[in-house]
Amino acid sequence: MFKKFMAAPYAVFMTLFVLLPLALVLVFAFIDASDGSFDMLANFKELAKEDALGKVVKNSLVAGLSTSVICLLLGYPIAYYLNKPEFNKKGVMIGLFLAPMWVNFLLRMMATKAVFNVIGVKMGMGTVIFGLSYEFLPFMIMPLYTTIQKIDKCYIEGASDLGATPSRAFWKVTVPLSMPGILSGLTMVMIPSITTFAVTEIMSNGKMMLLGDFIYSLKADSLNMAAAISFVLLIFMAISMVISNKYNKDGDGASKGGGLW
Amino acid sequence: MNNDTKTTPEQNGGDYIIQLKGLTKQYGTKTVVKDINLDIKRGDFVTFLGPSGCGKTTTLRMIAGFEIPTEGKVLFDGKDIAKLPPHKRPVNTVFQKYALFPHLNVFNNIAFGLKLKKIPVVYTKPNGEAAEKQIKLRDFLVNPDTGSPDFSIAAKDYFSYKEQGYVKLCKIKKTVNKMTKKGRVKKLVNGYRYYIDEKVRRALKIVGLSDYETRDVNSLSGGQQQRVAIARAIVNEPKVLLLDEPLGALDLKMRQEMQIELKEMHKTLGITFIYVTHDQEEALTMSDVVVVMKDGVICQEGTPIDIYNEPTTAYVADFIGESNILDGTMIDDYKVNIVGVEFECVDAGFGQNKPVDIVIRPEDIEVTVKEKGQLAGIIKSSTFRGVHYEMVCECNGYEFTIHSTIESPVGKEVGLRVSPENIQIMNKEHVDNTVKAKFTSNSTMEIFGGVYDFNPEKLFENCIYDSENDILKINGEEYTLKGEEATVNFAFTDIDMTDDEYAAPLAGNVESMIYKGKNYLVDIKTDDNNHVYADTEYLWDKGDRVGIKIDTDKFGLVECAMLARKEDGNV
Repeated sequence: MFKKFMAAPYAVFMTLFVLLPLALVLVFAFIDASDGSFDMLANFKELAKEDALGKVVKNSLVAGLSTSVICLLLGYPIAYYLNKPEFNKKGVMIGLFLAPMWVNFLLRMMATKAVFNVIGVKMGMGTVIFGLSYEFLPFMIMPLYTTIQKIDKCYIEGASDLGATPSRAFWKVTVPLSMPGILSGLTMVMIPSITTFAVTEIMSNGKMMLLGDFIYSLKADSLNMAAAISFVLLIFMAISMVISNKYNKDGDGASKGGGLW
Repeated sequence: MNNDTKTTPEQNGGDYIIQLKGLTKQYGTKTVVKDINLDIKRGDFVTFLGPSGCGKTTTLRMIAGFEIPTEGKVLFDGKDIAKLPPHKRPVNTVFQKYALFPHLNVFNNIAFGLKLKKIPVVYTKPNGEAAEKQIKLRDFLVNPDTGSPDFSIAAKDYFSYKEQGYVKLCKIKKTVNKMTKKGRVKKLVNGYRYYIDEKVRRALKIVGLSDYETRDVNSLSGGQQQRVAIARAIVNEPKVLLLDEPLGALDLKMRQEMQIELKEMHKTLGITFIYVTHDQEEALTMSDVVVVMKDGVICQEGTPIDIYNEPTTAYVADFIGESNILDGTMIDDYKVNIVGVEFECVDAGFGQNKPVDIVIRPEDIEVTVKEKGQLAGIIKSSTFRGVHYEMVCECNGYEFTIHSTIESPVGKEVGLRVSPENIQIMNKEHVDNTVKAKFTSNSTMEIFGGVYDFNPEKLFENCIYDSENDILKINGEEYTLKGEEATVNFAFTDIDMTDDEYAAPLAGNVESMIYKGKNYLVDIKTDDNNHVYADTEYLWDKGDRVGIKIDTDKFGLVECAMLARKEDGNV
């Protein structure tokens, strides 16, 4: 019985700061700000009228997708080699790769911006994507690292025993088995990168907006609209969760290689 | 390839498909496999048998290519493949943990190897030179008339067949009965897919899993997964199939069934099987040749019958089947003393009054009335074991295990008889402990890292030791022992084992035990991988941490460089 009480503080916290706000988001999203009445579509219609939004969504998708792809392309080889004992003696290397997370991200972004200014790079979409990739790379490496770590070496041995060259074995066995890690890495990079706001602000000199910046710019007077955008994002997140969970459910997580988060 | 050097594989390796020459594997300073030499005959079912950690799996992995030997050769058809990566070796493995790919279904698991298959073909270059290249199975040329791949053309001029109207395997169309979720459906596929489909179906049929193609491997039972693993290996038609404890995870009934099936498969396929197990019954049931291993070396190799009936060491006898292992003395040829009674035997050439190990199988002891027996004893216990009774009979203080279909009641005085040919006599592996010792002072010596006190007057002849002034005289001359080395020996019985490792100068782990009717002969492995053998009446468990006390007064001096040096000097 005692064990149950241990969870009580967390349950209270969850209710107050997670469930309640979520419920509020839902409620606000469906309340018409002008007359306070319940209207399923009022806020979304309003959103559609917003001229800037189209561009923001486009920017968000471009930045989010390219950041995820860049992080995957950079993160996969890193996570793969970190799992080789000769590259990652006593976990030192993984520590080094995750070390940037210890520095405040605003500081990192400012410093990066300063460097770009010195070498004369034009701030814009390119620098935003660079900043986002820099910021979220560790979120890609971590799930991939654990997933690849859990892939039993016997599968690779099995493949090479059946005549697969090391590169064949990698593409035919390691990559498919690390799919859950790839998916969870992609979600962990994609969603935060399109909803972040400070990075875009700094890395584009305030010229560019992603969904996060857009919500931020709406301020308190249009809380309902902000809630509506959040609601759309929530749906995106739910879809990505469903996809990665589906991968984890086929067979047990251990043999499939790593659970999500 | 040059014609002069071209020989058939049969000529290269002779009768042997795989030969291990001086095979050694070390991890750091630990030697797991020590200088193994073994010839494996074409088509044989060979089993490596031994307890865990004996090096049997490492040996198999060196044949498969997952481990590169530190030293030695792995000859395949006479060609050294020790350094080849696994994917270039003509062997396939069935893994202990199956290693079926969880992201592929049964069909794709089995087809995995086939899809990667490449065939070496010869062709003529435009300038007329002969050349060789690897082509994928899908690009292999097929006779349009028969529609099936003819692998004999690989050895002829490959490209000239193209001009004769031969087409690529993937270019022809064929119908197959493809297994789908709804059952078997006729489907038009290309020749390459047809070929793979046929092979996979045939392999599944061999392992008795027809119609399982579309099943998810995770939904199969352990036994079925094992069958898929076997199918996945044999579909590639390897010359040698390696099996690493493949039945270890199955329950008894399933295991016995699979043993028979594996043996059948071996017969039908006609290829060489190399099997690794720690289960002696499994080894005896299936193998043509059993190789018993211990501590990285081969103890004995032979047919199951030879290994069972004529074990060469007490260790092998103890490992294979139940047996009575006893100390004996070879009085003379054909005469052996066991537990104080003289027996006739069929062995000769051991010498006179030589200590030997005796093995008598429980079913070879005949129980008669007290007067007719060679040994008299009392039945201590009797257990019904299905077909026979297992009885323990005590004679002259030693216990004998007897298997008989006729029960003798507990407490009955009986006579035991053993016919001469059923007494197996073996040289002892060790008659005593002979160790290198280093003196650390005039009265202490270091053995395997443990420092023992000893009395020099008992170790050396004509020795006077003044312990107060620390003066040591041998034959009237003064010596300082510190830093000198000697070889000493002591009997198994001079060791006292204690479960408090700090109460003794040296500690080790119990590696193995052999029951000798009254006492146990315990093999203790010290932390530096040295072995000390002790005779004890107490039962220890494998892996127990024990302190080794030695009665140093009983030490015998085998050799001492210091004294030898002195003698040389005098001469």
